[in-house]
Amino acid sequence: MSTKTVDVPVEKPAPAGRFPITIVRGSGRYRAGQLGLVALVALLLLAGASAEPFRVGQFTSVLIFAIAISGLNLATGYTGLLSIGHSAFFGLGAYTTGILVVSYGWEPLATLPVGVVLSFLIGVVVGLPALRIRGLYLALVTLAVGVAFPELVKRFADFTGGAAGLVIRARQLAPPDWTGLRLGQRHLWLYWLSAVILILVLLAVRNLTRSRVGIAMVATRDNEIAAAASGVDLAVVKTAVFGLSGAITGLAGGLFAMYIGALSPDGSFTLLKSIELITGLFVGGAATLLGPVVGAFAVVFIPYYSADLASGHVSGIVFGAVLILIVFLMPEGAVGLLNRLGRRIVRITTAAETGSDAGRSAAHSAEKEGEPR
Amino acid sequence: MDIFLERLFDGVTNGAVYAIMALALVVVFRGTGTINFAQGEMALFTTYVAWALTTQDVPVWIAALVAAAIGFVLGAVTERTLIRPVRRRNDMATLVVALGLFTGFNALAGLLFNSETKTMPSLFPGGESDYVAVGGARLYWDALGVWLFVILVIGAVFWLFNRTRLGLHMRAVADNPESAALSGVPTGRILMLGWGLAGIIGSLAGVLVTPLSPHQLSLTTMFPILIYASAAALFGGLDSPIGAVVGGLVIGVLEMMITGYVEFIGGTLPQTAALVVIVLILLFRPTGLFGSRQMERL
Repeated sequence: MSTKTVDVPVEKPAPAGRFPITIVRGSGRYRAGQLGLVALVALLLLAGASAEPFRVGQFTSVLIFAIAISGLNLATGYTGLLSIGHSAFFGLGAYTTGILVVSYGWEPLATLPVGVVLSFLIGVVVGLPALRIRGLYLALVTLAVGVAFPELVKRFADFTGGAAGLVIRARQLAPPDWTGLRLGQRHLWLYWLSAVILILVLLAVRNLTRSRVGIAMVATRDNEIAAAASGVDLAVVKTAVFGLSGAITGLAGGLFAMYIGALSPDGSFTLLKSIELITGLFVGGAATLLGPVVGAFAVVFIPYYSADLASGHVSGIVFGAVLILIVFLMPEGAVGLLNRLGRRIVRITTAAETGSDAGRSAAHSAEKEGEPR
Repeated sequence: MDIFLERLFDGVTNGAVYAIMALALVVVFRGTGTINFAQGEMALFTTYVAWALTTQDVPVWIAALVAAAIGFVLGAVTERTLIRPVRRRNDMATLVVALGLFTGFNALAGLLFNSETKTMPSLFPGGESDYVAVGGARLYWDALGVWLFVILVIGAVFWLFNRTRLGLHMRAVADNPESAALSGVPTGRILMLGWGLAGIIGSLAGVLVTPLSPHQLSLTTMFPILIYASAAALFGGLDSPIGAVVGGLVIGVLEMMITGYVEFIGGTLPQTAALVVIVLILLFRPTGLFGSRQMERL
C-alpha cells in the first residue's frame, strides 16, 4: 500500500579534501563558534534597533511572527500535526492581552502568561482529536477551529468588542518605568521585548527537540506505529505538543496585541493568518530551529512589497504560488537547504563519534530498521 | 407549522448544494486519499467566469456549462501537474499544495474580478411570486429547481460509478491502485478524470448556490460551503458517495433548524456549529455513517 517515505539523512562519506571541517561538540573551537554566533546575533539586533522607527516596527513584527511560526513548527514541523488553525491561538493570545488591558487595566506584560496558559489549555483540547485521527482529519479539525475563532469573537461582542474591534490606548502600552524608555520609544521597547522572548523560545525549542521528548516527536511524525511500539506514548506526546505549540503561538499573539494596539476579528485572526504562518514555516524550513525566523521575514516583507500592486490580491497569489513552489523545489525550506550545504563545510560531532564512524553507522542501521516496508 | 416547513425547505435546498459539494470532495478523496481544500475556491473561480459570461449576455445555462467545462480542466490539470508529483511523498505535501491553491485561486478571482459583490442570475425563475404553497409554506421554484438539478447530478454520478466502464475503473483505483494498475487500468488517467469530475460537480454547486446565497457572489461565498460540505462528507463517511448525499441533507437541515430554533447560536455561529459536528463525528465515529472501516493504512 502507500509507502510513507521517511527522510533518513543520508550522510555521504567524507570526501578526501579539507572539507568538511570536523568540530567536536564542547571543544575550544566549538565554544569559540558559539560565542561568535552570540556576538553576531547581538550585532544584528543592535543594527535593527538603530533603524528608523518604521523599520524597527517591521522588524518587531518579524520577531513576533518568528515566535508564532516557531510554535507552529513544534506541532507541524517536528511532530507532523498539520494545523490550519493556529490563527486561533494567535488571536486567543492577542485578545487575552487586549481584554485584560482594556477592561481590567492589567499591565500588558503581566497578561502574557495568562494568554500562554489559556492557549496551552485550548491547544490540548484541540489536540485531543489527534489521538484518534491524523493527518488530513486533524487538518480539518484545526481548519474548523481557525474558522470558528473570528465568529466567536463576533458572537461575544460585549466581551471582545465584536466586529468593531478592540482598541488598546497607547498610554496603556507605554514601556514600564524600569526600562528608562519614554512613551514615544514604545517601538524600541516592543522590539527588545520581542527579541528577548524570541531568543528564549528558540532556546526552549532547541533544548526540547534535542531531548528525549524531541526524539519521540520526530518518531511520531515519521512512523506513528513504530514509535508506539518503541514505547512512545502517542497520546501524551501529541496533546502536549499541540498545547505547547498553541501556547507559543498565543504568546506571539499577546505581543502582537501590544504591537498593533487595535484588534479586529477579521483583520489578523482569520484563516489567512494561518496560511501565512504555514507559508512562513515551509519557506523557512519545517523542523529546523531557525526556519521560522527566515520564514517570518518572508511573511512580513512579501505582502509589504506586493501590497501596492493590487489591493492585497497579488500577495495572496504570491503566497499560494510560493507555497506550491516550495513543496516542489525546496521541500526542506531555506534553512534546511543551508543546513545541508553547511554540513559539507563544517561538521559538528560529539566526542564519541570522532576517530571512528562506527557509532554513527550503527545508529543508522538501527534507524533503517524502523522504516516501514 | 408553516415556518417549520419553510425552514425545512430552506434546509433541504442548502443541504442539496452541500451534498453535491461533498460529493466532489468524496470523488477526490476516494481516488487520492486527500481532501481538496481548494475545491471550493476552484468552484468560486469558475462561478466568477460564469458570472462574467452572463454580463456579456450569454444565457445563464450556457455559462453554467462553460463553468463546468473549466472546472473539469482545472481539476484535471491540477491533479496531473501539482498533486501527482508530490502525492507519493507524504500527506503534508499534498495538503500544503491544496492550501496554496486555496489562497491562489481566491486571490486570482479577486484580482481578475475585483472584490465587489456580484449578483449572479439564477438558473431558475426566482421571482417573489414564483412559488407553490405547500401546507401554508412557500416552496419557491428556484429551490425546487435546485432540488431537481441536484437529483440529476447525483443520478448521473451514480450511473457513472456503477454502470459504466469508467466508473468501474474509478472504483478499482479507489479500492486498490496497485491491483487496478496490474489489471491494466490506466491509474494515472483515471485519477486525473476523477479530479476533473470533481471540478465539474464543484462548479455546478457554485453556479447553483450563488443566487441563493445571502452574500451573492463574493470572495467569501464558497468557503462556508466548503466547511459545511466537509462536515457533510465526514458525517457520511469520506469514501461513500451515498454518505455524502445523506450527510449534505442532514447538515443543511440541521443548520437551518439550529439557527432557527437555538437562540444562543442564532445566525452568528453557524460555522462554529459545523465545527462542533466535525469534531464530534471524528471523536465518536471517525468513519462516518457509511464509510468503510479500513481507512487506516500503513
